[in-house]
Amino acid sequence: MKYFMKKLITLIMTLFLVSVAAFLAFQIIPGDVVTSILGTEATPEREEQLREELGLNKPPVERYLNWVTDVLQGDLGESYRFSRNMNEMMPVAELIGDKLPVTLWLAAVSLALIIVIAIPLGVLWARSSSHFLDAVLGVVTQASMAVPSFFLGILVTYLFGILLKFFAPGSYVSYQEDFAGFLKYLLFPALSIAIPKIAMTARFLRNSMLTEMQADYVRTAYSKGCTRQRVMYGHVLRNAMMPVVTFLGMIIAEIVAGSIVIEQVFGLPGIGRLLISSISTRDFPVVEILILYITFVVIFVYFLVDILYRVIDPRISEK
Amino acid sequence: MIRIEDLSVAFEDTEAVKHVSLELIDGEVLGVVGESGSGKSVTALTLMGLVADSAQITSGRVLFDDVVLREAGKPCDKALYRKYQGARMSMVFQEPMTSLNPTQRVGKQVEEMLRLHTDLRGEEMKRKVLEAFRSVGLREVEKVYSCYPHQLSGGMRQRVMIAMAVILHPRLIVADEPTTALDVTIQNQIIGLLREINQKQNNAMLFITHDLNLARRLCNRIAVMKDGEVVELGETEDIFQNPGEAYTKRLIEAVPSRMKRRRNIAAVRGMGEPAGSGLAGKLPTGRESEAEAGAGQERCAELERCTGQERCAELERCTGQERCAELERCTGQDGRNPILQVRNLSVYYRDGNNSLFSRREKQCVVSGADFELYSGESLGLVGESGCGKTSLSKAILGINKEVEGEITHTTLRPQMIFQDPYSSLNPSKTIGWLLMEPLRARAALDKAYAMTREDMEAAAYDMLHKVGMEDKYFHRKPSQLSGGQRQRVSIGQALITRPGMIVADEPVSALDVTIQAQIMELMQKLQQEMHLSYLFISHDINVVYQMCDRIMVMKEGRIIECGETEAIFHNPREKYTKLLLGNS
Repeated sequence: MKYFMKKLITLIMTLFLVSVAAFLAFQIIPGDVVTSILGTEATPEREEQLREELGLNKPPVERYLNWVTDVLQGDLGESYRFSRNMNEMMPVAELIGDKLPVTLWLAAVSLALIIVIAIPLGVLWARSSSHFLDAVLGVVTQASMAVPSFFLGILVTYLFGILLKFFAPGSYVSYQEDFAGFLKYLLFPALSIAIPKIAMTARFLRNSMLTEMQADYVRTAYSKGCTRQRVMYGHVLRNAMMPVVTFLGMIIAEIVAGSIVIEQVFGLPGIGRLLISSISTRDFPVVEILILYITFVVIFVYFLVDILYRVIDPRISEK
Repeated sequence: MIRIEDLSVAFEDTEAVKHVSLELIDGEVLGVVGESGSGKSVTALTLMGLVADSAQITSGRVLFDDVVLREAGKPCDKALYRKYQGARMSMVFQEPMTSLNPTQRVGKQVEEMLRLHTDLRGEEMKRKVLEAFRSVGLREVEKVYSCYPHQLSGGMRQRVMIAMAVILHPRLIVADEPTTALDVTIQNQIIGLLREINQKQNNAMLFITHDLNLARRLCNRIAVMKDGEVVELGETEDIFQNPGEAYTKRLIEAVPSRMKRRRNIAAVRGMGEPAGSGLAGKLPTGRESEAEAGAGQERCAELERCTGQERCAELERCTGQERCAELERCTGQDGRNPILQVRNLSVYYRDGNNSLFSRREKQCVVSGADFELYSGESLGLVGESGCGKTSLSKAILGINKEVEGEITHTTLRPQMIFQDPYSSLNPSKTIGWLLMEPLRARAALDKAYAMTREDMEAAAYDMLHKVGMEDKYFHRKPSQLSGGQRQRVSIGQALITRPGMIVADEPVSALDVTIQAQIMELMQKLQQEMHLSYLFISHDINVVYQMCDRIMVMKEGRIIECGETEAIFHNPREKYTKLLLGNS
């Protein structure tokens, strides 16, 4: 319980510091949201009026405090750019709420692919005494780690979409309309995200297992008469998972924060694309909330990794 | 009967084991003694079928009764071996912490033996494991059953290892340095336990050790190995009384023991010989080896006889006058000049949690330490691991700042010699660089000590000679040196700034016995040449006996006894001291 309290306080403090930093960054970077909305042709009167509307003429500290109070009350503010209709601007909560599920589902499918493929592959690789398999896996993983993600996206589109016709490129359906179709479409961007990560994770797991195989307790297990298989699954795997879990945590944090390139290539309306467009148009309320979201996700994932650690390694919880 | 016939094992081009033949009958304990690299472990691992796949059997075979387990030229038949491993032959390893799977409960790990070799399942298995735990002297067996290895002490872990090895009553138990990683008092218990099991189950035991004293207490026969060969094999007492080989003799003599007092070593040592140039002539000969050889079962009685009179007289002769005079000469004072005074010192340890919010808890590891170190003397600090020896020395060196009380020393910044010469030297630097580093560090702290590069190099070369090494080592890296040579470099590093006081934390416990003797000699030689005071920390009471003028005994953070070495050894006041002495 004390542990959870500690983590919670850390989370709150981090979020506070990050929000201040993001706010300050927008004061410093050049560019004016008013010009970006109205264009360069607008009259000074109109500009002044808009500034008044957006509350931009108040001192920064006051603006920050107003914003924080609003957010704490659940009001995430309104976008400067996106409008719901002629008279109303789009609330940030609605804007993000629309796109977040796409990113989260994409992340979930990618992660599932990574875990389901990488872990058995890594174990198999560590177990194999065949030099041929070793060499093949070495080259394949090396290559898939080296390919840039946009190119991998194009390759996947070409191979599965155009050659094999598993899916129609560009035929994204939203999850509200057809959930099964949505997941089916997501499988391919998810694969593009997962392939390099699978290569890294499998490689990592293999190395970790081979290192672990040198440990003294492995010799003890053999001295009992264990088979190699039993030593690998019964003794080594769990110990070898420790560094892999850390690595997976980093990957999760990365993909949950939005895979900008892959969303772009596959035309997915996710968080990553929203972030890019909001930054370029100085849509401060949206950017600020997105930054807080990403920070939260990263900290939360590390928290989960921490818990998973305790489950895997009994030594940690007692320190 | 287990037989190893003419066994040779090679790794790539180097032969680790050469034509070894050994034989074990039921109920017999055979000791295999030798220094590291002598091939004793490779022999045992080959016997157990655990040697690495890269090892090649170039001659001979391994027989269990009449079954050939391993033969020259043929690959290891792992399926055959698996029937023997655990069930008919089992092994106890050296390091009980790393030899158990850290993420599995110990009960399950012992149970695996039954799962692999018997039809027992579920509750029956557990009952059998608990029974085995009880038979190796573990208490609260239910609790131990569900513990992870890190929750047990070293001694308990080793008991678990032994329970695992004996649960199926194997015909052969191979124990590879089973007590080396343990404290003396625990060591004794484990040896007792092994003997008890051997008598009860009547299994053959192959006991591998570098410690001759230990082998003597447990083994019926001893095989001495050197460079992969068995150089001598015979009944234990025969070997001790009439060692046939010069090497065996040297091994016996090198073991630190209460038969040898430090001044005698000082008298015979051959000064300044480079490391590794052979031992002959450097080690005590003549009377000492006689005393050692004559030390049979009635060692204690003899000890008293030997040391009580003769030694004391000799000591007086040696130290009482000559040394005081020497001291006086050096210090210009009365010779009882404290170079370090510690008054009512308590050392604390902050719980390592570095989080922003956790309140750090202070733990007292040393309380109320009160002593002084006199100029030119060696003060021994003994105690088991975890008793606060190292914390105390860190406080004296100023590394640990969480202290209360008073530490005053009249010397320059005291220096330290560390235990493990393999990890305490930066592997990417040359020996010369390492030797000059303390000079650079000192110059960085205080401009008054700034030296030119030439001066530093000269000082480093000079130090290299002082610790008995040749010029050519200046440009080598630690990985090209042997353990003993590395420890010489460590000593050189500690001495190059010419501190008056050295804290030596287990400086010889990671070394082989013959190297141990060399390093101790070197330290004594340097002590006289450079007029050093040593605070000598060790868990090995015999080493301390050989090195120190006075001894402090520490237990649970307190100094419980302090006095002249001879006095402590012959009239220990505290029960705990007696226990420590009785065990070695």
